[in-house]
Amino acid sequence: MHQSLIDLWYGFGVALQPSNFMWSVFGVLIGNLIGVLPGMGALTTISMLLPLTYVIAPVPAILMLAGIFYGSQYGGAIGAILLNLPSHPPHAVTCLDGYPMTKAGRGGAALGITMMASFFAASVGIIVMIFLSPLLVEIAFKFGPSEICSIMLLGLLAGATMSRGSPLKGVAMTIFGLLCGVVGTDVISGTMRYTFELPDLADGVELGALCMGLFGIADFLVSVNRTTVKASDAKVSMKDMRPTRAELKQAFWPMVRGTMVGTLFGAMPGTGPTITTFIAYALERKIAKDPSRFGKGAIEGVAAPEASAHSKTQVDFIPTLSLGIPGDAVMALILGALIIKGIQPGPQLITEHPDIFWGLVASFWIGNVLLVILNVPMIGVWVRMLQVPYKFLYPAALFFICVGVYSTKNSLFDVGEVAVFGIIGAIFLSLDFPVSPIVLGFVLGPMLEENFRRAMLLSRGDLTVFLTRPISAWFIGACTLLILAQVVAYVRKLRFTPKLREPAELIAE
Amino acid sequence: MLRPKSLGKDHYGALLLLALGAGVLALGLGYRTGSLNHMGAGFIPVVLGALMMLVGVAIGVTAAAPGREMTNPLPGHGTHAGGPEWRGWLCILGGVVAFVVLGRYGGLLPATFASVFVSALGDRNSTVKGSALLAGALVVFCLIVFHYGLSLQLPLFQWG
Repeated sequence: MHQSLIDLWYGFGVALQPSNFMWSVFGVLIGNLIGVLPGMGALTTISMLLPLTYVIAPVPAILMLAGIFYGSQYGGAIGAILLNLPSHPPHAVTCLDGYPMTKAGRGGAALGITMMASFFAASVGIIVMIFLSPLLVEIAFKFGPSEICSIMLLGLLAGATMSRGSPLKGVAMTIFGLLCGVVGTDVISGTMRYTFELPDLADGVELGALCMGLFGIADFLVSVNRTTVKASDAKVSMKDMRPTRAELKQAFWPMVRGTMVGTLFGAMPGTGPTITTFIAYALERKIAKDPSRFGKGAIEGVAAPEASAHSKTQVDFIPTLSLGIPGDAVMALILGALIIKGIQPGPQLITEHPDIFWGLVASFWIGNVLLVILNVPMIGVWVRMLQVPYKFLYPAALFFICVGVYSTKNSLFDVGEVAVFGIIGAIFLSLDFPVSPIVLGFVLGPMLEENFRRAMLLSRGDLTVFLTRPISAWFIGACTLLILAQVVAYVRKLRFTPKLREPAELIAE
Repeated sequence: MLRPKSLGKDHYGALLLLALGAGVLALGLGYRTGSLNHMGAGFIPVVLGALMMLVGVAIGVTAAAPGREMTNPLPGHGTHAGGPEWRGWLCILGGVVAFVVLGRYGGLLPATFASVFVSALGDRNSTVKGSALLAGALVVFCLIVFHYGLSLQLPLFQWG
C-alpha cells in the first residue's frame, strides 16, 4: 500500500511533465468538444485521433487517448440532458430524467449534479485502480497460454452477451471480429489468409480503418436524413449550474450507490458501460420511496447512472492494462494503440512501463479536475456547439476520417477499407446487430489464436488442459455460468412476460 | 410496432451469418488445417466459420419464437421509418471513394474538396452552394493544419 503511494507520486511527476500534460489537456478538451457534438461518441473521437498517436511518444499518446475517453463522457452527458440526444449509448438512461429536468428549467442543476457525481465516481474508481492493479498483477504472473486463452474467452463472451441487445447477435459479431483479425499473413506458417490476392491486406486489416468504418461511416449511413434535428431552447449559464441544497441531499446517496455499481461492474471483464448505467438506474428506481417520480425529472435518475458510468470507466482500465483484456470497444482501441506503440499489455506492463501505468493513473485525476474547471465556465460554448447542424457535421467528420486513416500508413488502400467497413457496419446496424463486439474480437483475435496454438502445442493437442489447470478451470467455469445464465434468462422470457418494464423499453418508446 | 411475421430482421441476419460462415469455411478448408497438436493456418478460421454458421442457425431458430424481438433501439437510433436513403448512402460512400481516387490522381486539395462536397450533398437540406462553401472552408483548414502543421505525406496537387 505504501509502495502504491510512492508509485502514485512518481505518476504525478510523469503526468505533469509539460509534454505529457499538454497532450492530456488536448485529449480532454477534444474529447469533451466532440463528445458534445450530436452523434459523436468516444469511439468515433478516439478512432479519429488514433493516427495522431503514431507520431507522438507512447506515454503522451496513451494519456491523450484516455483523456478523450473520459472527456467525451462528460460531453455526452450535456447532449443527453439538454437535447434528449444520447451521443454515446451509456447516456441513454440519463436522458430519461435529465431531459425532463431541462424542460422544467432545472437542466443547469442536472448538469451540475452530473459533474459532481462524475468527479466523485472517477476519484473512487481511480483509488480502486491504484490498489487493485498490483494485486491483480501478482495473480496474472502465474498465467500460462492456457490461462490467457480462457480469460480471453471469458472477456469475449462477457463482451458479447452483456452488451446492449441480443446476446446471440453479440456472439455473432464477436466471431466476425475474430475473423477480421485472422485476415493477413499467418504469423506461424506464413500463409496468406483471406487476403483475396490483395498485397495490401498482407499485414491484416488496419485497426483505425475498421473502427472508423464501423463507428463513423456506418453511423453516417444509418443516420443521414433520419435524425430529426431538435433545436435546444435551453439556455444554461454558470449560475444555473449550482444545484440547490435539497437537490444535493437528494442526489448524494444515489451518487454513492451508482459509483459502487460502476466499480463492481468495471472489475468484470466484458461488461459494457451501457449495461452498468441501466443497472444503476434500475436500482435507484427499485429502492426509491416513490418510483413514479422517475422519468419525470428525478435527480437521482441523473446522478446514479452518470456516477456508475464514470467509476466504471476508470475501473475498466484495470483488466485492460494488467491483464491485457479490454472490457469494451473503447478499451480495445486503447489496447490496440498500446500494441501499435510496441507495448505488450499484460502483467508485465506495470513493472516494465511504470511511467505509462502510473502516469495514466495520475493523469486521470488531473484530467478530471480539468474537466470540472473547463466545463463550468464553458457550458455556454458547449450549448452552442449542440446546435451545429448535422449536414455540416458529418461531411467534415468524414473528411477527418479519410485524412486520419491515410496518415497512419500513407495508404489510400486503407481509406478504401473504411468504405468497406462502413457498408458492413451499416448492414449489421440495420439488422440490429451490435457492432462494438467486432472491435473486441478484432483486437483480441490474434492474441487468442497465438496463445491457443501455443497451449495446444504444450499440451500435445489435449483440450482438457483448460480444465485441469486450476486458474484456467475457474475462468472456464465462469464462461459456463455466463452461458447458462443467458439460457435461463431466455427460457424465462419465453414463459413469463416481464412485469416491471425495463428502462430499455421506456427508451424505445 | 408491426413487422411482417414471415421474414424479420433476425431472419435476414441469420441468413447473412450462414452465408458468411459458409464462405469463411470454404476458404478456410483451402488452407492447411492440421490437427489440434499441430494446427495449420486454416484451423482457427474453419472453427470460426463453423461457429458463425451455428450462431446463425440459433438466431434463425430463436427469431421464430413469437412475441420476442431481438431489438433494443436507442432514441435516435434504430427506430427509423421510411424507405431506403439512396441519396445519402451514395453521397457518403461517394465522398470516401472520391477521396481515394482523387488522392491518387489529383492530390490532397482536390481530394479534400471532393470528399466534403460530395458527402455534404447527401443531406436533403443541403444546397450546392452551402456544400461548396463548407468544402472550401475545409480545404483552407486542411492546407494550414494538415499540410503545413502536420506535414501530411500527400502532395497538394499531382497528376497520374
